[in-house]
This record gives sequence, structure tokens and C-alpha cells, in this order.
Amino acid sequence: MATIDIDGVRKRFGNVDVLHGVDLTIADGEFVVLVGPSGCGKSTLLRLIAGLEDISRGAIRIDGERVNDLAPRARDIAMVFQSYALYPHMSVERNMDYSLRLRKTPAERAREAVEGAAGKLGIDRLLQRKPRTLSGGQRQRVAMGRAIVRTPKAFLFDEPLSNLDARLREQMRGEIKKMHQDLGATSIYVTHDQIEAMTLADRIVAMNEGLVQQIGPPRELYEHPTNLFVAGFIGSPAMNFIDATYRREGQNAFLVVGEKRLALDERDVADGTPVTLGLRAEDIAIDADPEDPGAIEATVELVEPLGLGTIVHVQALGTHIKALSLAVVEHRVGSRIWIRPHPEKFHVFEEATGRRLERKAQFAAELPA
Amino acid sequence: MSVQAERRPGWHGTRRRFALRMEPYFYASPALIFIVAVMLVPLAIGLSYAFRDITLLNPFSGGFVGVQHFVDLWHDSDFWQALGNTVTWTVASVSLQFFLGLVLALRLYRPFPGRGLVQALVFVPWAVPMFLSGLNFAWLFNPVIGPLPHWLYAVGILSSPENILSDPAIAIWGPIVANVWWGVPFFAITLLAALQSIPPEIYEAAEIDGAGTWRRFADITVPFLAPTIAITVLLRAVWIANAPDLIVAMTGGGPADSTQIVASYIFTQAFKGLDFGYASAVATVLLMLLLVYALIVLMIRQSLLKAS
Ligand SMILES: Nc1ncnc2c1ncn2[C@@H]1O[C@H](COP(=O)(O)OP(=O)(O)OP(=O)(O)O)[C@@H](O)[C@H]1O
Ligand SMILES: [Mg+2]
Repeated sequence: MATIDIDGVRKRFGNVDVLHGVDLTIADGEFVVLVGPSGCGKSTLLRLIAGLEDISRGAIRIDGERVNDLAPRARDIAMVFQSYALYPHMSVERNMDYSLRLRKTPAERAREAVEGAAGKLGIDRLLQRKPRTLSGGQRQRVAMGRAIVRTPKAFLFDEPLSNLDARLREQMRGEIKKMHQDLGATSIYVTHDQIEAMTLADRIVAMNEGLVQQIGPPRELYEHPTNLFVAGFIGSPAMNFIDATYRREGQNAFLVVGEKRLALDERDVADGTPVTLGLRAEDIAIDADPEDPGAIEATVELVEPLGLGTIVHVQALGTHIKALSLAVVEHRVGSRIWIRPHPEKFHVFEEATGRRLERKAQFAAELPA
Repeated sequence: MSVQAERRPGWHGTRRRFALRMEPYFYASPALIFIVAVMLVPLAIGLSYAFRDITLLNPFSGGFVGVQHFVDLWHDSDFWQALGNTVTWTVASVSLQFFLGLVLALRLYRPFPGRGLVQALVFVPWAVPMFLSGLNFAWLFNPVIGPLPHWLYAVGILSSPENILSDPAIAIWGPIVANVWWGVPFFAITLLAALQSIPPEIYEAAEIDGAGTWRRFADITVPFLAPTIAITVLLRAVWIANAPDLIVAMTGGGPADSTQIVASYIFTQAFKGLDFGYASAVATVLLMLLLVYALIVLMIRQSLLKAS
């Protein structure tokens, strides 16, 4: 168990800058999830922590000790690879106790550790098999088992579930969460999966193009994305973005979208600033009262029943908008409806910089502690 | 065939099973006949010479002599010496080629500036005709025109700068050195290809698990290379045991037959002594020995494959 301190870390391959200065402090026992688009440097960051790549600039400290120049094996960290990277010529048991044998753990203790981990993961009957005879899900469990037998200082996971089907992924997600609650081990987890990120993380780190965009608990990234990138990246279905102009007349602030005026609380920005209005699909009510001043006329383009609810795609405010309703929606494609975005849930971003414009009056109160 | 066999009610039991069993062979028969004609017939004729008296200079030869050649062989001390030399020649050449090839492959596996050029250069000896490289080394070992005796003398390996090819005690090492130079690329390139097929994450996982350089080599590289090593060593050993070119080009088996291997002995008997019958008998014995050797190595390889 350990803290991990990433301090101004940069990485360049040849003359390509991949990480441009990453700062991140991970508390003991914390579960941190790295998300970001493909190629933004998530795996690279993980490999730097593991010691598989050299750090170009900056420092990484594990439990306060600078590890820049330590070989991977001296860092006492376990990693679960996307491809699992099991040793194909060794049995499951040998795969799992390899690290223990290298550390000259007494055979009795090693067997106990392997059997304990295998029992926890439900692979105790596979111990004598070779990896090639296992299914994808079983291999994944062996890879997890190999990581947990030696109780390392921290776990690194690089998209460990991405090769599994949806059902198995859901199940393993639950097991990883349970395992983390049992072991309480410091973990860094890379994923593309929104739900994995939201459910597993104590804190999410959203990255883009080698820069950390926002770090915070899942709800904070979801409810207060700090910029357009995070707003668009976190959440599924993705947030709707609508071009608008911020106007203020006396005490009243409002957004102008085409002909439409949408009232909102004052923001700390000049009158007439071009902004982007972000609306989460679930914050848009459908079948609103046409008399309501906040209601917007819309044309139904597509109806996607999810089982849990329905995503209604509409044409409104001169753009395509997705609204999520938990009710069963029976609208026909092409029919006219009225939608109403929840004004409390408006996300407003400055168009030029993409930064979030906080509500002025409650600015201090809104920031999470 | 099979369709008919199934429909005929009278066809059952062994006869039907026999017809079904034979069916694939009918399809394969054209290819089988071709293989027999091209490979087995010449082999059989060659083997038959071993039991006949075929001496080119004797027009009355050609009669059947039974196992007489093999009896002579048993008492032929030159043959036994050649057999011993064959073992020395093969074991020394293959193990040196393999060891140096492995070192070279491991070196070429890690990227470094100019790797592409070095890889191409490593391949060069392989492209030189074996006979030519034999002549080349014969000159290199000649103290009048070649530098090697002087170098060996300078570092203290030789007590005087003489031609090692004319010293019966060490002459065999001349062709061995030429053979190693010529054969290293084969091992380097095949082992490099095998190394490159090992997924890099496996090494990374082992590194994180705590394996140092030596343990990664022993626990990952070696098991992954083992099947390739077994098959290349087998092939090269048979090839080298069978290849008289370098010996013939460099020493002609001499001095005093001290560098004769079985393959060059066959060549000498056939084309210098012109005794084709006896040469065939020697060749038959060599063939049998190599078959036994190949069977053993294939069995080892099978068990290696099963283990991995
Ligand atoms: N060894 C390398 N040499 C050169 N460039 C590299 C190397 N490894 C990674 N890169 C580059 O670094 C960038 C980040 O790669 P990285 O694998 O960290 O992305 P990622 O965020 O993990 O993406 P993904 O979600 O697709 O796995 C990419 O542009 C990649 O091309
Ligand atoms: Mg990656």
C-alpha cells in the first residue's frame, strides 16, 4: 500500500511530446481512473509509473521515494495488461506464483497465496491448465490473480476488461470493486468505458493530448466539468452542445440561441460573449407545456428505446439534440413536441477558451469542497 | 467409392471398412507415385550399389557381393577415424555456430543505430558459395599469403606461425573455423526471427513480476526459443555432417587422412579410388546413423513442444 506522487512528469518519444507535464497525487488506498481519448497518453503514464519507460522530465515518487531510476522490479508494483500477457508456457499456478518464486517466498506461503487468490477469483480448478486452454474471461482472472498474490504497493490496470463481452465486463467490474474494498490497495485504472470510470473511481483523471484536464470525484466531473473537453467526454449519451450568445440586460441574464432567449443566472463574462451551452440529455424534459417560457419547439428525428428509458433525438434550436426520458415514449418520427431544458442544469462554456463559466451569485457555494 | 460402398447392402464388415480406409490413398496416389519415382527410386538404386562390386576401372565389376563391403568397412580403420572426425567436426561446428548465432541474434534484437545495415552484413557469409569460402580460408591460414597464422602466433595460440592445415593434430580446426564463419548467419537470422515473435508484453510482465535479465532469459527466452533451437540444430547437424565441401577444398582430407570425415571419405572413395560400391556402403551407414540421430532429436522436440 502506498501513495504515488507524480510531479511535473513529461515524456517524449524521439521528437514527439506525448505527456506535457502531468501532476497527480494519489492517496494511499485510493482508486484512480484515467480516462481520455485514444492516444492521449494514458498507457504511457501507466508505463512510466511501472518503470517500463524512462521519464523524460519530472519525478515519480512511490511512498515518498523517488523511483525515476528504479527498475520495474524494484518498484513493487503489479500491472494487469490489456492483452493479459500471461506466460504461455507456464501453468496457471506457475503464472501466479512466478513473482513469489522470484522473491524466494517459502513454497508453503506461496501455495497459500495462490490458492487464496484463485479461490477469490473462482479459478481454483484451473490451476494446472495452460493459458491457451482458457477462455478470455478466465485468462483475465488469471492476470488479476497474478497481480494480487504478491500484495504489491499499487496496482496498475491498462484497460483490463476491454477484451471481454458486456455481460462479463459488468461482472468483473463488480469483482474489481469488491476486491478493492477488501484489499484497499492503491490502484490506477485506465479505461474507455464511462460506466467503469464512474462506478470504480474514487477520483477520475480526465486527460487530453498529454495534459490533465480535470481531476475529481466522478460526480464532480459529471456535474461540474471544468471545460468543454471534459463535458463532452464524460457521460453517455454525450452532452448536447449548442452555440449561443451570452446577454445581460440590467439584472437579467439570458442566452440567445437563434430567435430564442433562455433565461439563466448571471455569469462572470462580458455582455455579448459567444458561449457554448451544454445540456445533458437527462436534463431535458420532453412533452413540456407549450405555454412555459422555457419550452422549445422540436421535431422528433429518432427514438431509441433503451429498456431503462428512451433517448429521443430531436431537431431544435437549429441543431440536433438528444433528450433522455425515463418514461416510455411513443412519439412518431417527424412529430412536433415541446422540450424544456432544466435551467438549473445549464453548463455554460466560453466559446473562445472552452472554460466553464460558473454562476456568479452562487460561485463560492457551488464549488465542491 | 464411399457413396457406393455405403449403399450396397452386401458391403459391410471388414471389406467395407477396407474400402473406406483406402479411399484417401486413391486420391493421393498421383502425388505418391511422383514422390516414389523422384525420391525413392534413386535412393533404392543408390543403396543397391552398396551390395555390388562397382569399380570404374574394372570392366568386369558389377556383380553382387552381399554384405562384403560392410564387413570390409568394419575392419577399415580409416572409416573409424573418419567417423570420429565427423563427430568432432559436427559437434564443434554446430555448437560454435549456434552459440555465436545466439549471441548475435540477442545483440541484433535490441534496437541500435545502424541495426538494419548490420543485419544485412551478418547475412553476407551465407551468400558466399561454401567451396569459395573454403578456398578463401585455406589462403588465410597459409602463412605465406594469409595473416591468420601470424595473428595466432602473436596472441600465443600457435608456438610458431605455421599453417595449421598441415599439422595433423589440429588441421580439422581449419575447416571448422571456415564452417563457423559461413554458418553463423543461419542461426543468427532464424533465432532473431524467433526472438521477434515473442510478445514484448511478456517480458514486461516478467520485469514487473521481478525477473532480472538472466531470469527473463532463462524463463521466457529459452522456453520460447527451444522448439526453434531443436529443429535448427537438427537440420544444421545433418547438413554439416553431410557436407564435405570445406574439407575437400581446404585439406582434401589430409594431412594423412587426419581431417577426413565420413562424407569426404565417401567422396574420396568414389571419385579418387573410383570404388562406387564401397562408397555406397559407407554412404548407407552414414544415412542410417543420421536417421537414428534425427529420430532422437525429433522425439526431444516433440516432448519440448508438449511441455510448452
Ligand atoms: N514507443 C513509442 N514510440 C513512439 N511513440 C509512442 C510510443 N508509445 C506510444 N507512443 C505515442 O504516444 C501517444 C500516446 O500513446 P498511449 O499508448 O499512451 O495512448 P493511450 O492514451 O493509452 O491510447 P489508447 O486509449 O488508444 O490505448 C500516441 O500518440 C502514441 O503514438
Ligand atoms: Mg492505451
